[in-house]
Amino acid sequence: MKKATVFLLLISINLISLTFASARSKNEILIRNATVMTAAKGSLENTDILIQNGKIARIGKNLKAASNAQTIDATGKFVTPGIVDCHSHTMMDAVNEFSYSVTSMTRIRDVLNPTDIAIYRGLAGGVTAANLLHGSANAIGGQNSTVKFKYGKPVEDFVIADAPPGIKFALGENPKRTNFNPAPGQTPRYPRTRMGVMEVIRDAFVRARDYKKDWDDFRAKRTTVQPRRDLELEPLVEVIEGKRLVHAHGYRSDEHLNLMLLADEFGFKVATLQHALEAYKIAPEIAKRGTGASIFADSWSYKLEAYDSIPYNGYILWKNGVNVSINSDSNERMRRLNLDAAKMMKYGGVPEEESLKMITLNPAKQLGIDKRTGSLETGKDADIVIWTAHPFSVYARPEMTMIEGEVYFDRSRDLTRRAELQREREALEKLDVNRTPGSGGTPPARPSEHRQEDLDEADGGNR
Amino acid sequence: MVNLYRRMVNGRKEKFQWSASFLHLKQIRLYCVEIQQFRFYTNLSGKIFMKKSFLWFYVALFASAVFNLNAHAQQTRPSAYAITNAQIVTVSGPNVARGTIVVRDGLIEAVGESARVPADAVIIDGAGLTIYPGFFDANTSLGLSAPVAPRPAGQGGGQAQIGQPQSTQPQSNSNYPDGLQPEESAIERLKAGEAQFETNRNAGFTTVLTVSREGVFNGQSAVINLAGETVSEMIIRPAFAEHFSFVTLRSGQYPTSLMGTFSALRQMLLDAQRLQENRKAYDKNPRGMRRPDADKSLDALLPVLNRQMPIVFNANTQNEIVRALDMAKEFNLNAIISGGQEAAKVANRLKEQNVPVLLSLNFPKRTTTASPEADAESLELLRRRADAPKTAGQLATAGIKFAFQSGGMTSIGDFTTNANKAVENGLSKDAAIRAMTLSAAEILGVADRLGSIEKGKIANLTVSRGDIFSKDKTVTHVFVDGKLFEQKEKPKTPTPTATGGAAQPAATAAVGGNYSITIEIPGQSLAGTLGLTQQGETLTGNLQTQLGTTPIKDGKVTAEGFTFTTTVEFGGSTFDLFVSGRVTGNEISGTMTSPQGAIPFRGTKIP
Amino acid sequence: MKLRITNYELRIIKSVLNLCLSVFICGLISSAFAQSDGSQQNQTGKAGTFAITNARIVTVSGAVIENGTIIVSDGKIAAVGANVTVPGGAERIDAAGLSVYPGMIDAGTNMGLAEVGQGAPATIDVAETGDYNANAKAMLGVNPHSSHINVTRVNGITTVLSIPQGGIISGQAAVINLNGSTQNDMAVVPMFGLLVNFPRITLGGGGFNPFAQTAPIDFGEAVKRRDQRIEDLKKLFRDAENYAKAQDAYAKDKNLPAPAPDLKMAALAPYVRGERPIIFTAERERDIRNAAKFIADTKVKGIIFGGQEAWKVADDLKKNNIAVIYTNIYNLPVRDDDAYDYLFEAPAKMAQAGVKFCVSTGDSGAEVRDLPYHAGLAGAYGLSKDDALKSVTLYPAQILGIADRLGSIEQGKIANLVVSDGDILEPRTNVKYVFIGGRLIPLTSRHTELFESFKDRK
Repeated sequence: MKKATVFLLLISINLISLTFASARSKNEILIRNATVMTAAKGSLENTDILIQNGKIARIGKNLKAASNAQTIDATGKFVTPGIVDCHSHTMMDAVNEFSYSVTSMTRIRDVLNPTDIAIYRGLAGGVTAANLLHGSANAIGGQNSTVKFKYGKPVEDFVIADAPPGIKFALGENPKRTNFNPAPGQTPRYPRTRMGVMEVIRDAFVRARDYKKDWDDFRAKRTTVQPRRDLELEPLVEVIEGKRLVHAHGYRSDEHLNLMLLADEFGFKVATLQHALEAYKIAPEIAKRGTGASIFADSWSYKLEAYDSIPYNGYILWKNGVNVSINSDSNERMRRLNLDAAKMMKYGGVPEEESLKMITLNPAKQLGIDKRTGSLETGKDADIVIWTAHPFSVYARPEMTMIEGEVYFDRSRDLTRRAELQREREALEKLDVNRTPGSGGTPPARPSEHRQEDLDEADGGNR
Repeated sequence: MVNLYRRMVNGRKEKFQWSASFLHLKQIRLYCVEIQQFRFYTNLSGKIFMKKSFLWFYVALFASAVFNLNAHAQQTRPSAYAITNAQIVTVSGPNVARGTIVVRDGLIEAVGESARVPADAVIIDGAGLTIYPGFFDANTSLGLSAPVAPRPAGQGGGQAQIGQPQSTQPQSNSNYPDGLQPEESAIERLKAGEAQFETNRNAGFTTVLTVSREGVFNGQSAVINLAGETVSEMIIRPAFAEHFSFVTLRSGQYPTSLMGTFSALRQMLLDAQRLQENRKAYDKNPRGMRRPDADKSLDALLPVLNRQMPIVFNANTQNEIVRALDMAKEFNLNAIISGGQEAAKVANRLKEQNVPVLLSLNFPKRTTTASPEADAESLELLRRRADAPKTAGQLATAGIKFAFQSGGMTSIGDFTTNANKAVENGLSKDAAIRAMTLSAAEILGVADRLGSIEKGKIANLTVSRGDIFSKDKTVTHVFVDGKLFEQKEKPKTPTPTATGGAAQPAATAAVGGNYSITIEIPGQSLAGTLGLTQQGETLTGNLQTQLGTTPIKDGKVTAEGFTFTTTVEFGGSTFDLFVSGRVTGNEISGTMTSPQGAIPFRGTKIP
Repeated sequence: MKLRITNYELRIIKSVLNLCLSVFICGLISSAFAQSDGSQQNQTGKAGTFAITNARIVTVSGAVIENGTIIVSDGKIAAVGANVTVPGGAERIDAAGLSVYPGMIDAGTNMGLAEVGQGAPATIDVAETGDYNANAKAMLGVNPHSSHINVTRVNGITTVLSIPQGGIISGQAAVINLNGSTQNDMAVVPMFGLLVNFPRITLGGGGFNPFAQTAPIDFGEAVKRRDQRIEDLKKLFRDAENYAKAQDAYAKDKNLPAPAPDLKMAALAPYVRGERPIIFTAERERDIRNAAKFIADTKVKGIIFGGQEAWKVADDLKKNNIAVIYTNIYNLPVRDDDAYDYLFEAPAKMAQAGVKFCVSTGDSGAEVRDLPYHAGLAGAYGLSKDDALKSVTLYPAQILGIADRLGSIEQGKIANLVVSDGDILEPRTNVKYVFIGGRLIPLTSRHTELFESFKDRK
């Protein structure tokens, strides 16, 4: 009898979550009377956005929607494109493949975890898309995955199918450091110097060039035996062919410049310099090549290589015409990228819309997904954040985050759901299976101690 | 295909086709692969194909068979049994409320209400008893000897073992490191002797799928009967499937991360594919072409690639199952999921790809008590426990084929207890019985000879007093291959032997003590203390770092060193660390492997 | 709060300050010394009499003065108000369109103790070895020339608590102004409080001798050990009291046998006697509750540091007059089941429950400049704007016992002032002038210098 009650309660909870899911249908949505910060064509006051089939159908004043359309009154509120985080390790069940200096055969796609709670917390900070990168333990790391944060959906829905593929490179201290302490009885992994890092990359591209030639010869029937498919070299061939984006972790300006020179030699363009704390020292060289910079707004001094990092980095790069994005590299920091963008106005004086672009359109361009997201323009995916105030205000809070017209975060729903979850917990705790006595207890979760633990490489995990 | 030797000696049931015909080249290639590794192969119609070059082995096998036969000949054993007046759950057909089963020469000779009791049969009065087909445990490591400690390939085991006994098992000469050797096979490690199976047999289990749980590739599994004094007597299918775990290598070699595991599998499959194609071309015309490698590890993948052998992915969580299904799709593999705790969440995908599940009955249990000082348990954990018994019913509703397995449970008695929980949570009782009998036989490809009570099938029978799912049932008789194992008494609480025997107690290293260690996380060393308490081959203790102090689990000591796992919390998440190491004098060194990668540590003993 | 320093401590301070001075002189001779750990010679600004006129004055302690004047003289706020006469010779700063705030205070940093987190251990002076270091004094480890100091103050943070960490008793934290060529110049309260990492349940181990534990322990055992560690701490406190009593007796009567000196016990004495506060790190409800009980039992002056769930323990904290230095705005909730804003809204909940608190970065130094955004984010999640501002000005001043001198704009207080072009908690706001101790601070830092060097590179 008791059991039956609990069971019924569980069923009703499931039903509630079902309704919750089906409410996110792709009907017409009209967001009314907001300040719309387009990140492309300025800010528009008292403006409506009409969403149809997950796309932005119209932006304008006094728009009409179908009678069954969902209408959201956003009077007094601000609307921005969803934030794109160009350097993230969220929802990854593995970060580094430490074994080799070149691990281009590994794929982040293989280890995505769509249930990571950090995704939801990112949505609650307005993030809708992210560049999920391999760690920085290897001169050439694994293949990235560009995703949208469709929390609650199957993993395949997260992956942006038409995003160009990418790969992580890492220069300087991280790939060096990984080799300082080899396992007992094993020889230290090469390289241990910046000299060696460059040679590892050169060697890989020399091999990739030969490999490409083998295949070209075979395809042109100049040879008969099909070459071996080499998963390590295939992505590097794609890099040479301009089909795969290189996201190169590095701090010092010299190491990033050296990589760009090597790329010149092998005929490809580095897509983004990641972190690029000293990029301001070589801004013209970066601008000339059309390479992007994906930086921290103002992190510095957490390691020796970060000692010359300055918050004016973004401004100097922007002034030189470099496409700049601001990334988080952290599940924590991801939640306040809007404030990081605001800092660009403070340090040097990047204009408002240009600052907003650094967390929206610019990273979308760097990831090759700007045709579908990154700005509020007709025809683009309805990846939208509704804020209680100007998103650069510290007092602003995302009210609602949607991806392709579906609501993935809604603060009011979140508040209601807390009570539902509490009821579910109480019901579950009553079940026999959760009551079996035994010895011991659930050890207390350790309070998070320091946000810097989350930084790219400060956690010793070489993220 | 039971007791091959007996049939060979008697020569009365099967004709053996000795064939080196190349007419069915592809088929033969597969058989060759199997023969190479498993000495013989029986296809479903019971014909045995042999390759001449392996004749020597056949002869050896024959010789040993004769020897064993002679050994057996000294025991006298009744040739026929008749169980009368019993309820018979045939599984394949309707139940017989009151009937007789006749067992002769290892087979079911007759079954039914009116089956005639032969004059020479030993009669068992089955009044009040129920007869089921012998139960299957569709994934265990029963009967396997302990693995050799992993070591890096090409290093001959390292330098720290001077003065310590070397492992008796020769190191593999594969091109791939330990853990990436799909050619590893369960039957190679199967130990002779049926006494080791007593606990499981007494619980009603007669047939299991057994395979190692070590490595990324666990190797090829075998379907065995839980009886027989020789290994060859036990085997039903020597090479059922290749088994694969989403883990990393523990030696510090690639792959050290889950990502790398996928890449390694992918590259090996591609290389195997290429080897196959090159070999085809070479066989046609070897001139002017470099001969393809003879690579036993890649060779072992060919039947998997060609869908002639299933690949079993150990996958419990939704993420793991989806990853397995994606991989199966990518290479068009014939996949089976083993574990499958969250399989119901991806029922549509399983259905779409027609993938069966070897469903673990090792349901998550609460082992801790609620303390006002303790943290509340996570919703996820609470839900997982509540949902586990529902999975079977949901799979049945979704029309997904599944069989039960013990999943590493510590007490085999939990098997039927938890199967009954599945029944309480929406699975029909018939379906539950089927999941431990005929469905298992079907998934394991032996349904023509096992899994139901039918005339001519192998006489694997489990007889109980009381419904098998009731709490006060008693398994009274178990027949395996027609051999009767009678319960002397009601089994006491079964001892934890569900998943395979203990190792031959080789000389173990002495590793106990407290060690001050440095964990060499790149760029920053983490100091810690490792307290190890050794009792023979068992290791307990804890690891203390600034991340807290965590007890060590599954601690083992071998001749070479020690291994254990521990779970640390960091940044709000928990990570399982696999730790292996060794002690030389006062020095300790080793590797800690997490999903993030492998990190070395070293240290000294605290006096 | 009154500052009491024992004779012994005075001696130590004097000798150390002498040492510092000589080191400083050496440093001048061999400038490489000062620069080897990445520090820079801080510009200490201009002294004099200043008049900030036409300003919107956010006094924090009182009403906002929409158009007023502040006179800064002799390091103090000489006058503040709508109708204040500017003395002759005062340097005028026209603050039309600008706002004046009290300098912000971060009560939880390792400022000056940690320069470069990774790869330069020689620049880290946060944690002494061993578990008991009551005699370790942050004041003697702070590098006055840390480049973090300039970077921090130009964003309006003028005073911080710099605390040692590690072990069980980490040492004594110092309240410092972010200006000065020597530690002495910077000191506001050189030995403000003692940092104690309050014992909590760990999966095993911990305790006084980390090598003593080997067996894995279950939860009940872990609870017992935590309790034992708390008892051990209590005993240590009693020992320190007895030690101090014996020393006092001997000081009065030299005929008594001289007790053996013990620096650690001596250092503990003023804290266990409740003369100065003890800062207990504790985050979770049960730990804070235990710490509150410990504070009540031992009759010490307590502060909670961290305080994630302090709002759940409001009654105990209020009853025992325990304040909270909250350091968790930039942290993720610990448990998956925690609400996404669990740590954002904690300050609002503390305010609601009447718990005395301040907001702190808890940062080692480089990111202390984000202090206003920590407070502002608490404002986004329920804390009133007024309380958000107070949580980084007046409240920390009260908790640090310096509210008579700092934390608001009032006549007679130390002239730590920030002139900005907007709400000081907003990231788009620019700081135009900073006064520390009445000195007008140049708005330069390692960052502006590098910016100047490279901004026009073609």
